Amino acid sequence: MVVVPEFLIRRIYQKGSLKKLDNGASLILKNVLGPGFISGFNYVKINDIVYSPEEVKFITNGEELLGTEVSEAAPIAFRLGQTGTLIMEGKTSITDGKNKIEIEALNPEAGKVKLTVEDNCA
Amino acid sequence: MEVTYDKYSLMADGKRVFIKSGAFHYFRTPGESMARDRFFKMKAAGYNAVDIYFNWNYHSKAPGEYDFSGIKDVRKVLKAARDAGLFIIARPGPFINGEVNAGGLPFWLLRMEDVIPRNRIGTEYKYSEKYMKYISEWYDNIIPIINEFDNVILFQIENEYATDTMEEDYMRELYKMARDRGVTCPIFHNDAYFAGLWANCVDIYALDLYPYINPNQNWKQDNFCFDTLDNVEDIFRSSKEDSPPFIAEMQAGWFDKWDGSGYKHIREALGDEHINIMTKTALSQGVTLFNHYMIAGGTNWGNLACDEVYTSYEFTAPIDEFGIPQSNFYKAKEINYFLDSFDFTCTEPKEFEFYQENIYAKMRHDNTNNCDWLFLRNMNNEITEINPFGNIKTKLKPYDMKICPINLQLKGCTVEFSDMEIFARLHNEDEEVIFIIADKNSFIKILDNEIISGDKKDYDNIKFEKNGKTTQFVFLTKKLADKSWFLKDKVIFNADYVLPNGAIAVEKNTEIAYFDLKNKFSKKNCIVTEFNDYSKPEQLTISSIDFCAPEIDMDYNYSEWKKLENKTDSLSCELYDEFVWYKGQIPNSVEEITLSARHLFAVYINGKEVLNRNSYKIEKLQEVPETISIPLDKKILDKNLNELTILVQNLGFDKGFSGDTNNPRGLVLFETKPDTKIDLYAEEKLSIERNDFRQSESPYLTKITAKFDIDLKDNVFFAKYISFENFRCRRATIFLNGIKIGRYIKRTNVQDKFYLINEFLKPHNTLEIVVWEKDRNIKSPWGFKSDMKNVIIKIGTQKMYQLFK
Repeated sequence: MVVVPEFLIRRIYQKGSLKKLDNGASLILKNVLGPGFISGFNYVKINDIVYSPEEVKFITNGEELLGTEVSEAAPIAFRLGQTGTLIMEGKTSITDGKNKIEIEALNPEAGKVKLTVEDNCA
Repeated sequence: MEVTYDKYSLMADGKRVFIKSGAFHYFRTPGESMARDRFFKMKAAGYNAVDIYFNWNYHSKAPGEYDFSGIKDVRKVLKAARDAGLFIIARPGPFINGEVNAGGLPFWLLRMEDVIPRNRIGTEYKYSEKYMKYISEWYDNIIPIINEFDNVILFQIENEYATDTMEEDYMRELYKMARDRGVTCPIFHNDAYFAGLWANCVDIYALDLYPYINPNQNWKQDNFCFDTLDNVEDIFRSSKEDSPPFIAEMQAGWFDKWDGSGYKHIREALGDEHINIMTKTALSQGVTLFNHYMIAGGTNWGNLACDEVYTSYEFTAPIDEFGIPQSNFYKAKEINYFLDSFDFTCTEPKEFEFYQENIYAKMRHDNTNNCDWLFLRNMNNEITEINPFGNIKTKLKPYDMKICPINLQLKGCTVEFSDMEIFARLHNEDEEVIFIIADKNSFIKILDNEIISGDKKDYDNIKFEKNGKTTQFVFLTKKLADKSWFLKDKVIFNADYVLPNGAIAVEKNTEIAYFDLKNKFSKKNCIVTEFNDYSKPEQLTISSIDFCAPEIDMDYNYSEWKKLENKTDSLSCELYDEFVWYKGQIPNSVEEITLSARHLFAVYINGKEVLNRNSYKIEKLQEVPETISIPLDKKILDKNLNELTILVQNLGFDKGFSGDTNNPRGLVLFETKPDTKIDLYAEEKLSIERNDFRQSESPYLTKITAKFDIDLKDNVFFAKYISFENFRCRRATIFLNGIKIGRYIKRTNVQDKFYLINEFLKPHNTLEIVVWEKDRNIKSPWGFKSDMKNVIIKIGTQKMYQLFK
């Protein structure tokens, strides 16, 4: 694991953005760390429910991509200040009160980057 | 020297100073005379400071033992910097990174019980008293030397440090340690995450910025890589309002890795546009202290390298590994001279509404010169017309950036606007001469005068007069500007480079021109007498071929080697060298051995190779370990007790940025099936390094010896190399006069030219190349030895300059 302190990675998650969908959830990420690329989504986990890349969509810069469409060969640019919405579908995961969110994404230079936060459903 | 600061800049003895620094690794450019050469070139290019990492590991082989003698004499390095007129930015770690072995932490420290390097395991903070105790020892040794030099202007603690919970104890303790030992200048830390980390623990907040870290990336296409730099003033101000913006490491190149694309590719990818954009964008953000990392490339000789990097640490720096100025050097020189021409230490951002696609525009008001400066950057891949104001249009080349003065009041006129590059300025009370780089797409608009076109030839000039004072613009083409040198009160033209004492270096017969305000132009001819044509490398004559691994021989006596207990890795054995040998006896009841080694290794049984493997693999900044099982049968184990020899080549310890410095090296795992106790003995280094060389029967390691002479002259600068371009062997370690200066691995294809480090050259030189071959490449020992005589090794001269006083 690359030595980027957890508290810095947590800043990417936009607090209060977690929403319950009919059969899933959504949340917003904002890049406040520095310009770079996302080269994959390994999984998103909300509470104990794991969403695999094919169950995850990332909407940014007017583009909607499935988690499986983001790869080292097809990375997506994520600029400083850019926001993106992650949509998880197919499973209900959100509960009342605090929800534990874990996102594991990939960066071409740093490899795995894991974000772990807790948030209430908006 | 008293060093103070405010939100704009540093002040040395009360006078504002703009810090134009470059990073230099004395351990990779060893010896006083090489340091002096690089410092003088820096000074000639307008740098006024040098950043120096002090490498703890380089100086300390054991607790309490410190070596600052010979080429490790840092006093001589610091004195050379002072003689060159450079301030010093002292960075003694304890951790430095710099792609050095173990990030600069001593090997002995890594293995100590209760020592937690950097008070950190992974990302978790874990304070270690014993670690702090040894830092005290290092600081006790290094800080008094640093304190002997009154040109030290800044001092850094730790480097690129972060933990999950950001406890401040460690950083605060380092700060106190430095102050307690008499450091008086401002103290900073270098934040790799540009997130304001440790700003409260130091005097000045500083960060590092590397927009281009992936050689597969096209920074021109992905131009948003400058996003952070484009907003860096906000980061500085929100992190520490009262300290000047300081980029402690500002990208001036990038390092290549074993599995990289080679320095030629990186240099071409960055061009001289990158350093231009980096530096000028930093200026547009109010930065008044920058440090080009690196200013001079170096060489990972000895055991300097961490596992990631190969011999050359060229870094595509402005001064390359050989000491030769490159195109980014000339670009940096232009900017430095500009900063010497107009005091830029006190500027403020100024509101400027402008939008054009892929154009960066930023305005600053200059409190000293009472004018504005407009910074324009074109990230389009074609010449682009920009219209920053209603009546003014300017054209920028692709990926170019300019600093345009607005209402700049000069002695004889006022520049209303200009998009021409100001190169240098000479001035006295009544007169000034401003040298401008001619560019047909650019112009100068003088208040109440016509527009002056930039379509000019060398030395074309135009003069303005006002109230008895004059301003003369003298135009230089870019080609001449590269060969023009601003030295105190004069400009020297047509020199390849100059030294601060006025000495001139040229590589061919040249007419040198001088200009100063009093004597105007004068000329001098430099006739080069020393050089023959050196453009083609020459093949070296091989004087001997010897098998040099007696350790593999059946009768080799290793009873004096270190007997190992349970663990076999380098740290546990206290054998930190690149090469570690393991020997033992293995009974024929063993059916299989399983081993994991870092990084390259070979297993020999009864003098025969059974495996030769390169296990080096790094993915996503992490090493990927490999474990291999070797089935053994009676053909291999043909005796009751069989001689086992394992040779491991450790390419270096982790540098400690992402991984842990004490990740194991050497033979990390050794198991037998069925589980059988084997007494292993270990020793480090190759036999020629241990003075244990003797003729061997084993053909796997072969020493090729060649001799050559060098004509060393005081008035000639030269850089020599050996070329492995047509070298047929797969791995080799290169020794020059007994000093390890390089390692070659054909598979990686990243380096086939090795610098013959000037410091190690003598009039009569011996080159020894130890080739490590695989069994399948050796048909018969006799035939192989004979074959080796036909190996092609060439020696060449990269560059020569004759120096004229």
